[in-house]
Amino acid sequence: MSIIRRRQGRTLALAFACVATLGGGTFGWLKASDHRDSALLTSDRAADIADVYAFRSPSNPNNLVLSLTLAGFIPPGPVNSDLFFDPNVLYQIKIDTNNDAVEDLVIQARVTGKPGHQVMHFRGPARPQLTGVVNRWLGDDDADADDEGVSVRVSDKARPIIEREHGMTVFAGIRDDPFFFDLGQFRKIVAGQASSFNNPGFDTFKGFNALAMVIELPISRLGNNPNINVWGTTSRPRS
Amino acid sequence: MRYHRIIRLAGITSALALAATACNDTATPATVLPTDVVSVSKRGSRVDYMQEDRFGKPAIATVFISTSMKNAFNTAAPDRDVADYTSAVVNVLTAFGHPNPTGLAAALLPDVQPINTSAPTTFLNGRRLQDDVITAELGLIFRNNAALNDDHVDANDKPFLNTFPYLAAPHVQ
Repeated sequence: MSIIRRRQGRTLALAFACVATLGGGTFGWLKASDHRDSALLTSDRAADIADVYAFRSPSNPNNLVLSLTLAGFIPPGPVNSDLFFDPNVLYQIKIDTNNDAVEDLVIQARVTGKPGHQVMHFRGPARPQLTGVVNRWLGDDDADADDEGVSVRVSDKARPIIEREHGMTVFAGIRDDPFFFDLGQFRKIVAGQASSFNNPGFDTFKGFNALAMVIELPISRLGNNPNINVWGTTSRPRS
Repeated sequence: MRYHRIIRLAGITSALALAATACNDTATPATVLPTDVVSVSKRGSRVDYMQEDRFGKPAIATVFISTSMKNAFNTAAPDRDVADYTSAVVNVLTAFGHPNPTGLAAALLPDVQPINTSAPTTFLNGRRLQDDVITAELGLIFRNNAALNDDHVDANDKPFLNTFPYLAAPHVQ
């Protein structure tokens, strides 16, 4: 875990040396891809997004697959209870269909139940009542949203539990972290202890798991414009 | 409320699990949804959720956002990115000696993941699990610098699945 924990007070060297003078700070690629993001998130792993994937389904070109991974660097073995999804977090994949970087559709997910007995509830894609950094659960304002959703039991074992309803296929649970990167060597480069990557490199993410949500749905449910923008967010109730 | 549907689902999965157990006593437990977790909406409660983290393009944005700016960036909406973060990205690229920092910054912001769903997916048109996004991005930033433009980790440690959920099974030991 120490490989990603300490990010501050680092001196930049070699190719990175000149950068240190610009912002007066260190840079976020010491963690990657977005694993353990910020001071706010290092203590809130269930809300810490690792990666977002968006690709046409290998098994059906009419479908899009969207995936959000969270809480990276989960070691093998039984899942620690504090590494499950958080019932207070609103997980979202946002979709911009007119290229203004404002979401026109959202797919939302919230979990209920205790670790080991959690159920993930998906809603959408639907137009959100609020866009931007303050959001609401679709079911709070749309009487039909619950009936149009799909729920799936969270998988904590190797065999994935999958549900299909309303044309959506969903999964939530622990999987191998799909990200790969020689983060260790990158950190050495940034710290001035190395001047190049190794060949072959070493996958720092090898052997680690992550929490994952996977959604497959017909592309036709995302509007008529094939050019869309996708991003993921996590949110907590306003305190 | 979709309680009725959950109950129906629970009944079906229970029956399947019982059938499976009958011929294989190591079958996994039934995927029955516990009755205390079927409802997630408290209609009318209208809770405001505040953004804590966001993610668009892999790694790229975080390269350019200093630690002191990180919380502000993560809690911002992407439609502000061009206005608020172009200078940060240009500064870093300039420091790296990039020949066209303004052009690359314009391609990287806003921090969303573009995908043309009518074309085959390959990073930067969307992002597949197997896409070597780090090497692609190191190439964008460090170009012909062979020491830094490839981390030489080209694939995941486990093969991905051809069928849903595509991500590989978790490591168990």
